[in-house]
Amino acid sequence: MKALFKKEIQFYLNNPLGYITLVLFGVFANFMFVKDIFVYGSASMRPFFEILPWLFMIFIPAISMRLFAEERRTNTLELLLSLPISEMQIVIAKFLATLTMTALGLVLTLGLPISMYALTQQAGARIYLPEVFVGYFGQLLLASGFIAISLFYSVKTKNQIVAFLGSVITLFFLIIFSTDFAASALPQIVQEVFNYLSPLTQVDNFIKGVLDIRSLFYFVSMSLLFLFLTVVDLEKRP
Amino acid sequence: MLMQPATEHIIKRKSMVVAKMVDVVKNKSNDSAHTNHMISLIHIIKKFGQTHAVNDISFQAKKGEIIGFLGPNGAGKTTTMRLILGLLKSTSGSITVQTVDPIKHRLDVLPQIGYLPGNNPLYGEMKVREYLDFIAQMKTVGNQSEIDEIIAQVSIDDKSESKIDELSRGYKQRVGLAAALLGDPTLLILDEPTSGLDPLEQDKIKALIKKVAKKKMVIFSTHILSEVEDIANRLIIINRGEIVYDGKKPARKGSVEKLFKKLVK
Repeated sequence: MKALFKKEIQFYLNNPLGYITLVLFGVFANFMFVKDIFVYGSASMRPFFEILPWLFMIFIPAISMRLFAEERRTNTLELLLSLPISEMQIVIAKFLATLTMTALGLVLTLGLPISMYALTQQAGARIYLPEVFVGYFGQLLLASGFIAISLFYSVKTKNQIVAFLGSVITLFFLIIFSTDFAASALPQIVQEVFNYLSPLTQVDNFIKGVLDIRSLFYFVSMSLLFLFLTVVDLEKRP
Repeated sequence: MLMQPATEHIIKRKSMVVAKMVDVVKNKSNDSAHTNHMISLIHIIKKFGQTHAVNDISFQAKKGEIIGFLGPNGAGKTTTMRLILGLLKSTSGSITVQTVDPIKHRLDVLPQIGYLPGNNPLYGEMKVREYLDFIAQMKTVGNQSEIDEIIAQVSIDDKSESKIDELSRGYKQRVGLAAALLGDPTLLILDEPTSGLDPLEQDKIKALIKKVAKKKMVIFSTHILSEVEDIANRLIIINRGEIVYDGKKPARKGSVEKLFKKLVK
């Protein structure tokens, strides 16, 4: 499992596309926040954390789409399945490698809280660091759920574009469930269920700096469910 | 007259007991058929939709056998190999590799198998040594000296630091074979190992298979008749999913071709 994890990480790091995706994510995440920072006028990372799920919606499917789809297309999946490693180990190795890359993407945004901390100190104010840590932790949880969903789409097809679109559309609907736009079009009870099921609602607690066990449970369950479905699909023998 | 129903009952019970005993004996003979062989396929049927890819094939094989699995394209050679590896599930029948089911116990079976898939899929972005190191780690076998030994054995020393994508087809095939040989598996399954190679490269691969096959059981598929004559000591001819010949390789030069043409129309 360690060897496969290492191989996946090396693929991203030895490939220009890996760097391009990472840098694009870093640039967008930083730019989207910085451009509005003076409009908000408050020393808070919340607007930044609110943007991230939308960026993850594109970034995560982009780095996950090849994980199984490419292995199917090039038949290396047959090679992988002929080696003495369980399907679960294969899925976990790929999942952890993608989560590591996403964490690396988030590291590229650490300049924001650091510079904000420095700026606010100069002005005699302070940002509350535990809130920032919980916010990042929540984003990592959200990312793990998104990666699990993207992995599931990747295992279903040998076409990377299909895997990418499937993930993006699913994530888009999951996110949009909790927005006012969707709420206005749905009956009250459906609205409430959808709102609860939306990752945006669940991550909101972390954004506020609250380490909510229910939200933690939600993201862990979401990740486990889709990882399980991916393993089941991989275990299927035609 | 009064005793008749009781007698009938006893006879019925006795016949049931006999039937059960026959079943036990049958199962035992089936088990022993499985246990004496490295691989055992019994009445295997594999259907894809309504198409019979493999239709009721049975054969067993022991250590030391080099089986040439001969057949035209689409005959069911690759399907049979994938069934042995547990990559496909048979529609009916039973398969064992070293007495165990390759699907239920794949993690017990796979360390004993070296597999070279038909189209030889490799991670092209890796360097040769890096790739073999990866496979060795996945198989949880081997150290650098074993990898060096195998690199020397398949004669890819000069390309060990080259990227796989930059290698010729013959070299790629040797890399695939080296990966299959890692961990010293007892069973080698090679799907068309010389496919697409020039005659010189073919000879090199054939010599290599002959060399490593001495202590193993090898099953290799091909549609090249001369390959079977050169390497195999047992011949299985498969056509339209059915085994049409299973026996010793004919001794006389050219007789495999005659046999093949006679059986596969």
